[in-house]
Amino acid sequence: MTTSGTPVDLAALPGPAHLRLDGKRALIVAAESPVGAAIARAYAQAGAELALAVLRPDEAVVSAKRLQRELEGLGTRSTVYVMDVVLGKNVQVTTRQIAKELGGVDIAVCASDLFLGKPIGRTSDSELQQVMAYNFNAHFFVARSASDEMRRNDPAGGRIILLSHVLGERGLSNTAAYGAAHGATQQLVRSLSQELAPQGVTINGISTGWMDWMQDRLDERNDDAGRAVRFTLPRRAGSPEDVAPMAVWLAGSGAGNVTGQVFHVDGGLTQHL
Amino acid sequence: MVLDPPSPFDMDGKVAIVTGSGRGLGKAMAKALAAAGAQVVCAARTPEQIEQTVAEITSDGGTAIAVPTDVTSSAAVDALVARAVEAYGRLDVMIANAGGGGGPQNLEFWEYPDDAFESVVATNLKSAFYSDRAAARQFVAQGEGGVIVNVASGTALRGNQQFAYPTAKGGVISLTKSAATMLAKHDIRVNAIVPGYINQRPPRDEQEAEVRRNRGVRVPVRRLGDWWELGPLALYLASDASRYVTGELFIIDGGGLAGGLAPVTFAPAHEIGAAS
Ligand SMILES: NC(=O)c1ccc[n+]([C@@H]2O[C@H](COP(=O)([O-])OP(=O)(O)OC[C@H]3O[C@@H](n4cnc5c(N)ncnc54)[C@H](OP(=O)(O)O)[C@@H]3O)[C@@H](O)[C@H]2O)c1
Repeated sequence: MTTSGTPVDLAALPGPAHLRLDGKRALIVAAESPVGAAIARAYAQAGAELALAVLRPDEAVVSAKRLQRELEGLGTRSTVYVMDVVLGKNVQVTTRQIAKELGGVDIAVCASDLFLGKPIGRTSDSELQQVMAYNFNAHFFVARSASDEMRRNDPAGGRIILLSHVLGERGLSNTAAYGAAHGATQQLVRSLSQELAPQGVTINGISTGWMDWMQDRLDERNDDAGRAVRFTLPRRAGSPEDVAPMAVWLAGSGAGNVTGQVFHVDGGLTQHL
Repeated sequence: MVLDPPSPFDMDGKVAIVTGSGRGLGKAMAKALAAAGAQVVCAARTPEQIEQTVAEITSDGGTAIAVPTDVTSSAAVDALVARAVEAYGRLDVMIANAGGGGGPQNLEFWEYPDDAFESVVATNLKSAFYSDRAAARQFVAQGEGGVIVNVASGTALRGNQQFAYPTAKGGVISLTKSAATMLAKHDIRVNAIVPGYINQRPPRDEQEAEVRRNRGVRVPVRRLGDWWELGPLALYLASDASRYVTGELFIIDGGGLAGGLAPVTFAPAHEIGAAS
């Protein structure tokens, strides 16, 4: 794949055996998000069975149902769940239910993400709590509940994939809470890789940069806002389809020896001066 | 009675070589070590410049000599260490600072010629290896450990259009980590200073000051660094203050590498053109 041009057509990709997910049971948390939905489609094309969990019982359910019908067209069975990731107990109960219905969970992806761009002085306690809840706690809860289900698999094991953002490792004004929450998620990947390895569970992160679904993060009244993509080397925002192939690879049989890593899918954003 | 504990920053009785100390950052580092009590051996190719550094150190009450050296020659670097030992009886610190940009600008990657690449690598990477190796030999012979400080560049930590220079400086970073690993058993510490955009001297005129102010806007602290700000860091790394520190990079860049994603206020470097 070159760095420029149009996003990849996943269906056109050749499928070596290690990228097949036939018979695998995958839980996608925040399946209503652009990147969650793209990963769901890619997993469906790779042959997985899917549990689509949305974060709120609102329009999210409608878009997940639409995705479900689309996947049906691809011949993939999926079920839609509402998973309130703010409470660990809810994540646990819903994950348990999903595991019962699918007969287990082999792959868990968490794409929960909530942006906040504010100076620290204007960030309220409740805003901080929200940002932590959706960018860190959610990932923690999903990793906790999913690894518990994966431990019960026969043989024990599974793949956990957490979506994060490069602001978790670089400083940018007005993103202290958001960046810190993602920094925490990236450290979660490293710590849990050690703890979960004995039970056959790998955990990795995918860290995105400026993505096409993040345009609302820029202040349009600011003349400089349109320049965000110029900081990427291909001069375009990333798309959900840029991220999904990495999630397929990490879930496939070829990546069993990969754990504790956070991969950048950011168009080189973090790698030039 | 309360005794003042000896300061871990004290350099009394220590002998330090600073390469590239005829001007810029190296001169600032040489002066900082001398002010802390070190006997300093100043090396670079231009005799008048290192003699000027020595004159400034001695007029401040310090001790130093100038040894004209081309650090791209391993024989010359070996001779530099021998000269330091001859003058002061020992060696405790090697600051391998000589280096710099150079090489053709704005060439396409595939156009970059062999001789330019080799010359930039010789000035920045081979020179560091020769300096580190010559110092390590002397340190091991003395049997009392020693300190090596290499000077890399922030450009090495990200992609950059200058290409050969950051590539060579990336080698310096790797050299630092490997040398630290291999020399630790001899109590030799090896660390690297990684400067960002640093002014090498005061501005010549208002126009140059203006250029610097404009470039400074791209740095989170909103200004470029100044040569003398390298002195305290060099002293920390050269002295016992850092005795448990080895194999590390010390970035001194006003926050530049910590950020670098900013869509507003800062323009991306690959549009402005690279800088060293
Ligand atoms: N200033 C910055 O913004 C910056 C940023 C990142 C890294 N650095 C690094 O910091 C170090 C010092 O740079 P500076 O900014 O102080 O540059 P500078 O003002 O140009 O000084 C460079 C010094 O190195 C000496 N030198 C160069 N080639 C040499 C050779 N072959 N043999 C012996 N000495 C040699 C020069 O003296 P002669 O020419 O007389 O030999 C001079 O004394 C360099 O390694 C540079 O790459 C600087």
